[in-house]
Amino acid sequence: MIYLTRMLGKPVVDAGGERIGVISDIAISTGEVFPRVTSLAFLGPGKTPFMLSWRKFVEGVDEDRITLNAPRDELRFSYLQPDEVLLSHDLLDKQIVDTQGMKVVRVNDLKLSESRGQLRLLGAEVGLRGVLRSLWPPLETAAAAAAKLFGRPLPESIIAWNYMDLLDRDLSHVQLSVTHKRLHELHPADVADVLEQLSPSQRARVFEHLDNDQAADAISELEDELQADVLDDLTEERASDILEIMDPDDAADIIGDLPYDKAETLLHLMGVREARQVRKLLGYREKSAGGIMTPEVTTVTEDMTVQQVIDQLRANAGDLENIYYIYVVSAKRVLDGVISLRDLIVASPETLVSDIVTRDLFTVGPDDDQEQVADMMSKYDLLALPVVDESGRILGIVTVDDALDVMEEENAEDLELAMGSAQSAADAWLWLRRTGSWAVIWAMIAFTVAFAVRALSRTGTAGGPPWLLGVSGAVLFLPVVLRIVEDLSARATTGLIEGRGETGRPPLGRRLLTDSLVGLVLGSLAALAVFAITDIVTSQPTFAAALAVPIGLTLLVMTLLSTAVAVLAERASDSGQRVSQSLLAGGLLILSALIYLGLAGVAWSFAARALSGAGV
Amino acid sequence: MWLLLAVMGPGIIAASAGNDSGGISTYSQAGAKYGYQMLWMMFLMTFSLVIVQEMAGRMGAVTGKGFAALIRERFGVRPTFFAMLALLASNAATSVAEFAGIAAAMELFGVSRYVAVPIAAVVVWLLVVRGSFRNVEKVLLALSLVFVAYIITAFAAKPDWLVVGRSLVTPSFQMNPAFFSLAVALTGTTIAPWMQFFVQSNIVDKGTSIKEWSLAKWDVIAGAVAANFVAIFIIVTTATVLHPKGIVISLASDAAIALTPLVGHYATILFAIGLLSASFLAACVLPLTAGYSICEAFGWEAGVDRKFSEAPIFIGIYTFVIFVGAAIILIPGANLIAVMILSQVINGMMLPFLLIFMMIIINDKRIMGQYTNGRIYNVIAWITIGSAIALTGALLVLTALGVT
Repeated sequence: MIYLTRMLGKPVVDAGGERIGVISDIAISTGEVFPRVTSLAFLGPGKTPFMLSWRKFVEGVDEDRITLNAPRDELRFSYLQPDEVLLSHDLLDKQIVDTQGMKVVRVNDLKLSESRGQLRLLGAEVGLRGVLRSLWPPLETAAAAAAKLFGRPLPESIIAWNYMDLLDRDLSHVQLSVTHKRLHELHPADVADVLEQLSPSQRARVFEHLDNDQAADAISELEDELQADVLDDLTEERASDILEIMDPDDAADIIGDLPYDKAETLLHLMGVREARQVRKLLGYREKSAGGIMTPEVTTVTEDMTVQQVIDQLRANAGDLENIYYIYVVSAKRVLDGVISLRDLIVASPETLVSDIVTRDLFTVGPDDDQEQVADMMSKYDLLALPVVDESGRILGIVTVDDALDVMEEENAEDLELAMGSAQSAADAWLWLRRTGSWAVIWAMIAFTVAFAVRALSRTGTAGGPPWLLGVSGAVLFLPVVLRIVEDLSARATTGLIEGRGETGRPPLGRRLLTDSLVGLVLGSLAALAVFAITDIVTSQPTFAAALAVPIGLTLLVMTLLSTAVAVLAERASDSGQRVSQSLLAGGLLILSALIYLGLAGVAWSFAARALSGAGV
Repeated sequence: MWLLLAVMGPGIIAASAGNDSGGISTYSQAGAKYGYQMLWMMFLMTFSLVIVQEMAGRMGAVTGKGFAALIRERFGVRPTFFAMLALLASNAATSVAEFAGIAAAMELFGVSRYVAVPIAAVVVWLLVVRGSFRNVEKVLLALSLVFVAYIITAFAAKPDWLVVGRSLVTPSFQMNPAFFSLAVALTGTTIAPWMQFFVQSNIVDKGTSIKEWSLAKWDVIAGAVAANFVAIFIIVTTATVLHPKGIVISLASDAAIALTPLVGHYATILFAIGLLSASFLAACVLPLTAGYSICEAFGWEAGVDRKFSEAPIFIGIYTFVIFVGAAIILIPGANLIAVMILSQVINGMMLPFLLIFMMIIINDKRIMGQYTNGRIYNVIAWITIGSAIALTGALLVLTALGVT
């Protein structure tokens, strides 16, 4: 194996053994899976650059030098050909797209191999090893040896030439290789993945290479926050063309995120029909059925024959998102029933629509919540669900792909919860991560209230009796306790939701151990935080302790209690009884509120005695 | 006065983000220890800061790439490694200063640093991991605006404006290591290395083109000027209030006293709130800047929404920066103010190296096309680099000679 970074700077020696320069670059010819090295670039005396044909003049390559087959005077210099790529100048240190791993990576080194007198490019090294090697070769050897010692060998990450796409140099005119997988040949969802990793200007460069259809598909697949940004960077003509191609519901989503002026300009540039559809959709609330539906529906009337329906479908199918259901409407587009593609195909061509129509069908209103819509579609296995207004007129359909997006969005939280069922102390981390932002908001409210209380008691006018302070403190911290307990109980009872059998559960002893650990950590963390906050604000450690200790205790108790309840419930459900998870969670919540308030009361009476004893 | 504030509104917000705990402590100390004597440096450095930030922004607008990426593509792995090492050192040191700021502020509230710093480290880590610190960012920014109070306090303290004006334009030195180390810290905190990475990646993320840059640059310039404006007033305030009394700042509460002419007993609280939010904000930004820049340079996956298995190095770097920053503060007996200023000395020492990279890139026609530096820019930038090296050199020589 030969690495480019090790070759660069090594001497070039002519047939007479005379050193005529140092290697500065090598060029490959594109168009092969493992491209051949075709030219050698070197710096002669006085740093003059030269280029030689590899095939004609290079005799051999080894670790320390390149040997030429002719004496210096007989060398004939050449120029870079249009289909040649310089490895160091064009590839090394540059960003490339790994079209197999769908990632944007940086080329740390290039790996070459010599076989039968030819040097070929195997691929780009993008991993840690390449960095270490170009830093100092022994470092790589040492790191590899150390990694091996720990039983986790350090692999090379090589991307083959045919999976690379270049970002910086425009090589679109170069036929890279027969099997070369270019960015625009990937699935739009994969293109979107790559685009999300690029900076805006690089993104714009990639979009220049995509045609409008591909661009429309890729934009639809991008993260919501990026869609408007990307569109904003395109010229207005191109943006409006792309929006026209997109499904109206996707287009409306994006336009809704654009600034008003830009949105209006684009809508004006779009075709009249498309713009009208989008405007209508923009009128619906986000996250409602109306917000996610597409207005493009196939509608037929009862008096049509099957043949007529099929003809109509053939004429329009290109524009439609979904043709598996055909909706039957009466005058004024009032929805009467539905026929499926299946019904249509099995019926004879002359059959009337009224003979095969199913009149009993599910519909939703435009203001229904998107999650309900998605649930309904999954429950009844529907590919599309019609949206109708109060008078029964069809407005559009929600298709299954939109429903899947909704479910992904709404389930993310539940999924994370389910992932927390690993039953290890690492759960505490996960929990903290999930509740991070919530805690910040609460902390701000708490600080405000606390400072207000402090200011009041300072002025002495409305300090009130000391118990007021205790009660407000206890109430202030109640939501924190409840929120934590909610997560605790959910965590404990995930086994129930997932319906794992007895074999899937960790043994009871270990479960109790990890749970008491989690409870202890959570409890003491929370107590510490509460103590710190209260102590800052009131500078009364006794009072702070009276607030903090009940919180810590409640959490510890509830961790163990929810595990106990979960274990009982699992036993019960194993023996065939139905157990409602939400009922359990609710019960645990109420219980925790009672325990906490009880403990707070006890702690406060102690604290009040201590305070009055100290004469405060 | 109010008109001035209104004109500089957006700039001041950017400025207060730059005036973090390292800045506050260094400026306060400069004023307390040497009176108006260091003001002239701040005056000159305003030009340097404006030019350096404009260059960083221009590089981002022209190339659409971050500073780290440009260093890598222009210089290759080895120089990049040292540049990133310098950045990591500067970022980690500044992080230490931010946690020192948090500890000092919380101690003013009466909370032990051994309680405050671990909690703060965990909270910062969570905010960063969840990417939710954007939500809190504005609140913290607003709170750190407290430091604008220095401008008003400076007037309330009634300094001799004639002397102040003269000091702004009269260079003067004291030939001892203490003076030069504070001078290096002053450079390091005013033209903080990480700020240049931050400014450039902001421009890249916004997708600002070179055409838009001719407008957008005024935002950056206003920010730089406002930052130094506030900094100059911090020095004037502490020089007027603390210097005559011979108070040298060794505790955060000493620094807080400077605000007394304006708010009396509330000076401590005001100072603590400002210090806390500025430190907190910077403590979130710094580890991220380090993580993003280093991963950008070496092509590793980065992003706060990545799992550990997807972006181990990125998450490793910012976790390292946060927890090392916090851990150093927990060493018993660490003097917080000294730590804050020392971190800025490290910044000041790293600065010239990164600026040299910047100068080579920005004068490379293959990278910048027609947007390379003009002559005036080059002269000012090289003078800045030269002076930064000279200050560090003088500090080292004086220390080696044992001059006191």
